Amino acid sequence: MERNVRSVAKLAVASLVVAASTTVMAQWPKYTPTGVPVGADGKLDANAAVPRTSDGKPDLSGVWEITRDPNAPPPTAGRGGRGGGGGGSPFGNIGNSAQGGAPYQPWAADLVKKRMSDNSKDNPDAHCLPMGIAQLNAHLYPRKIIQTPKEVLLIYEASGTTVREVFLDGRPLPKKEDVEPWYNGYSVGHWEGDTLVIETTGFMDDGWLDVRGSPLTSAGKITERFRRTKFGSLELEETIDDPKAYTQPFTAKVFYRFSADTQLIEFVCLDKDANHYVGNTAPAPK
Amino acid sequence: MTGFRVTAIAAAAAAILTLPLRASAHHAFAAEFDAKQPITLRGTVTRVEWINPHTWIHIDVKDADGKVVEWMIEGGTPNTLLRNGLDRKSLPAGTEIVVDGYRAKSGLNRANGRDITLADGRKLFLGSSLTGAAGGEASADKK
Repeated sequence: MERNVRSVAKLAVASLVVAASTTVMAQWPKYTPTGVPVGADGKLDANAAVPRTSDGKPDLSGVWEITRDPNAPPPTAGRGGRGGGGGGSPFGNIGNSAQGGAPYQPWAADLVKKRMSDNSKDNPDAHCLPMGIAQLNAHLYPRKIIQTPKEVLLIYEASGTTVREVFLDGRPLPKKEDVEPWYNGYSVGHWEGDTLVIETTGFMDDGWLDVRGSPLTSAGKITERFRRTKFGSLELEETIDDPKAYTQPFTAKVFYRFSADTQLIEFVCLDKDANHYVGNTAPAPK
Repeated sequence: MTGFRVTAIAAAAAAILTLPLRASAHHAFAAEFDAKQPITLRGTVTRVEWINPHTWIHIDVKDADGKVVEWMIEGGTPNTLLRNGLDRKSLPAGTEIVVDGYRAKSGLNRANGRDITLADGRKLFLGSSLTGAAGGEASADKK
């Protein structure tokens, strides 16, 4: 036993060394784009003013990575930093930042309990299927926003490098019964002051809002409110309104920091155990 | 350390190792691996599958009788490893490594790699889904 304890101590120290020595790298060599404000130390001045587009709107463009809620107490050892965002990150549990957790309908609560006891093995992302907007928004991997006056593109590194189109050209949100349901639905956006409001509907059934398996159904609507509070910070309030799965709408919060010298890395997911490439060759049931 | 050694330690001790490192997990670590079965393997890299959603490092390990046994070590995604300073050229075939990780529940010669140590003593974090994994949180906060 003494030897085991020694091994544990050794391994723990080794892990710390590794954690401290990791460097941030990507495939593109480091390159800081022009137009990024730097402080006297030559590093990004995250407190600089929010940049604006020629039409006066805040410009949300850039690569963004999740960070902790700047107003939350520091995470405690162990569970605190998990889920990437910490401080109540919705990645593991969409109800983390909602008072009392997500207000599940009874069937949804039962389903989540079952999925957790299954260790989330059926999470679409575990099978190289789209993880859905809520998991993408809270994911560790960066996302890039490209803003134009009539359309905003959100490119997420995760889930097979997902692209979302958000139309700001005045078209109405389609009625869900008028469109083919999509994993990530149909999105339109508008500005309310300095906040970009994105409404999305037209989802498939059986979406996963988080790793524990909180469901999103075809009755669901997600409203995202993005606000860039300073050059280096972006905040998201994400309201889930899905009366089929939840007793009332609830809101999750995600915080981002601007990444001046990171680019997205291609993510192609290969599910070697899947048979959907060749279809189901079993005879049809009689 | 000759051959390969399986170090079994208590669950409480394993918990100490669970540092909140940056990693990504779509399902709980416990779906496939056993945190109560830490393992240390010394072997030679035969090939690396540099694919999402998990890298797999294949190593030949000599057991106590000198017989060579193949083990497959699951690492994080190539994206996670790239950001931690590893790439597909980091572990060419023939590289001697020591892997610290956790055994698969299936009983097959598979393990989830936490980190690896190279011959020159350098340690590389493998992006194990146990360390800092949201999936772990999902199973830990059962109500």
